[in-house]
Amino acid sequence: LLLGVSGTSVEKNITLDSATRIELSCRLDSEYSHLKSLQVTWKRGNETIRHINKTENSWSIQLRILDNSKLGSYSCVLQGEEEISAVFHLQVPKIEGKEKPIVSYEGDTVVMICKTFGYTPIAWTWYVTNGSEQIAVNDSLLADKYVIDRISANVTHLKILKLTKEDEGVYWCEAAFELGKSIGKLKLKVLSLMVPLKPFLAIVAEVVILVTIVFLYEMYLKKKEKCA
Amino acid sequence: SSPAERKEEEPEAPAAGQSRSAGAMDGGWAWAAVLHFFLVNVLIMGMLKTFGIFFVAFQEEVGGSSEQVSWIGSIMSSLRFLGAPLVAVVCRKLGEWLTSIIGAGLVAGGCLLSTQATSVPFLCVSMGVLLGMGFACLYQAAAVMTAKRCRTRLALSNAIARSGMGLTFLMAPFTQLLIDLYGWQGTLLIFGGIMLNLVPSSMLLRPTSTHPPQRTAAKTQERGFLMAKKDSETLDGCLDESTPRETQLRSARDLPSTEGLMTSHDRDVSGPGDTSALERLKKPSTEGCSPETAAEAKRKTVPLTEKDSSEPLLDFSPLKDPVFFIFTWSFFFSHLAYFVPIFHLVARARTLGISSMDASYLIAVAGITETISQLLSGWVADQNWTKKYHYHVAYLVLSGVTNLLCPLATTFPWLMTYVVAFAVCCGGFMALVLPVLVDLVGVQKLHSYLGFAAFFAGIGAAGGPPLAGWLYDYTQTYVCSFLFAGACALVSPLSFLFEPLAQRWKLKKANM
Repeated sequence: LLLGVSGTSVEKNITLDSATRIELSCRLDSEYSHLKSLQVTWKRGNETIRHINKTENSWSIQLRILDNSKLGSYSCVLQGEEEISAVFHLQVPKIEGKEKPIVSYEGDTVVMICKTFGYTPIAWTWYVTNGSEQIAVNDSLLADKYVIDRISANVTHLKILKLTKEDEGVYWCEAAFELGKSIGKLKLKVLSLMVPLKPFLAIVAEVVILVTIVFLYEMYLKKKEKCA
Repeated sequence: SSPAERKEEEPEAPAAGQSRSAGAMDGGWAWAAVLHFFLVNVLIMGMLKTFGIFFVAFQEEVGGSSEQVSWIGSIMSSLRFLGAPLVAVVCRKLGEWLTSIIGAGLVAGGCLLSTQATSVPFLCVSMGVLLGMGFACLYQAAAVMTAKRCRTRLALSNAIARSGMGLTFLMAPFTQLLIDLYGWQGTLLIFGGIMLNLVPSSMLLRPTSTHPPQRTAAKTQERGFLMAKKDSETLDGCLDESTPRETQLRSARDLPSTEGLMTSHDRDVSGPGDTSALERLKKPSTEGCSPETAAEAKRKTVPLTEKDSSEPLLDFSPLKDPVFFIFTWSFFFSHLAYFVPIFHLVARARTLGISSMDASYLIAVAGITETISQLLSGWVADQNWTKKYHYHVAYLVLSGVTNLLCPLATTFPWLMTYVVAFAVCCGGFMALVLPVLVDLVGVQKLHSYLGFAAFFAGIGAAGGPPLAGWLYDYTQTYVCSFLFAGACALVSPLSFLFEPLAQRWKLKKANM
């Protein structure tokens, strides 16, 4: 049972992972109840829904969500002197990818993780972007390159072995729910060992210079003491 | 004894001139030691604090449970303290210069080795053990060297060096940036390089063999033993930390410090320097501040040859010294009182409904206030208006009271007030830990005392956070942690009440 209290335009996200019955209702605040002449419409896109249950201050619809086609945005519009509306977005659970790219090195192994929170997907699939296509990662075909582990019901790991520069790019993890699929995006960056080595060598060079300076200064002091 | 005195003074004059130029150098080397200590604080504390950022990266890539990965951090930070007695031995054998360089090498090596890590136990050893021992070496060497060099303004120098800890908040965003750019392995590689910087800075810790002021200050203790009042008048403030203190304490620590003076000289001084040290003992050069007597010089040269071999390698004498227990008791409880509130401050703010943005302001304010307070406290303590440990006790009591009042702070302004007050007190007593120890036991024995004291503090540091966590789990509120910290802070200065008693006991023992 979900309520939308209106004053201005309101949106609400509802996450569903399996088939269920749901009731959406729009309830008007008591301040506005003086607006008697109200016409309420429930819509999904352009399609109007009938079977509106009306009580004193609220109008609701009941939905049976069985598959992906029933998901989407449902809105209730109260037409009076002003138009007040509320929108409900019915969605599958989202997967979190990573905003920042995952950094790894050539020849090394990297583990990419995808999680869902609270909802258990039926299956996980990984895709790698090759050019503009998404190709599924087949770990039985390339068993010494990719390993897909389902660590727990909500977590999946893609382990990529023996990284090369070509493995760099965008990866997708897809979770299949009863009501649909959801995708998370992950970026992989593969660096050669030279990349961090350069600043390191720069720092080492600086250290060597400092050590030399201190040594020379000490020798200079010793000479001074000998002469004095 | 006055004609003998005058005779001694004459050869002093040319030597004094020579040492005046060396004295200017001394000032330079003292600042070098402070700079090195500052760097050590920044890098060590920075590494310890940013470990949390590595924690996340390790967990994801290397695997292992949260508990296992946090072992790495625990080993790293507790070895820093627990390794101190061992490091004290190494320092006295090899000298601070070499120990510090070895420490820097260990730390850099540990970082570099960790880049190859593939499992948590590997990391435990490479990061935990190597880095922990390296830190212990660095810290011990730097602290004792600073104490040896900055005789007059030790509290202020210590405070300046410790203010390095305040800068560590810059390390966190920097580390995060490096991890984003290079991944954790690249970051560790670069950190290894940064830690290598400690090698040239350790080279600044030149042995004090050629520097008179340090010995003369020790000698003023002995002089006091022979000619108490007279010398306290002639003592120039430029050499001594606290004259009244010296004359009071000299009797108690005279004999031990004589031995310490002789034997640690043998250790500090390199081969050729030995004979020159001997000569200098006979003809002390003092920058014109404090005259010597022939009688004293004779007294000193005799023990020199005798006491050479009598000092054992691992010096357990601190454990027999009541002053040590006084200091360690206070050190241990004050560390507990320091770490626990910091650990739980943010959590408490959250439970009071304060947002994390505001909570991080609290931390930032605490850090800045503590740094400023350390500097002020160091400066004030150096003015020698009263004995340093009086300040220490005062700060501890105040911080205890503040902590006990903390549960009353339930809104953001009050919590901010608490944080400021707490940071002022903490900065105050933290800056004085080293100077108080130096006051109590003198510089010669500092290595072993500091080593063992750090060992016990390490037990406190290792046990403190889990204890605080247990307190929370048991009472379900963070209020108890603050009350506990307040109680610790009030318990810790109690031991100082026994200090005059302990000194008298030592004097009696020495006289027997």
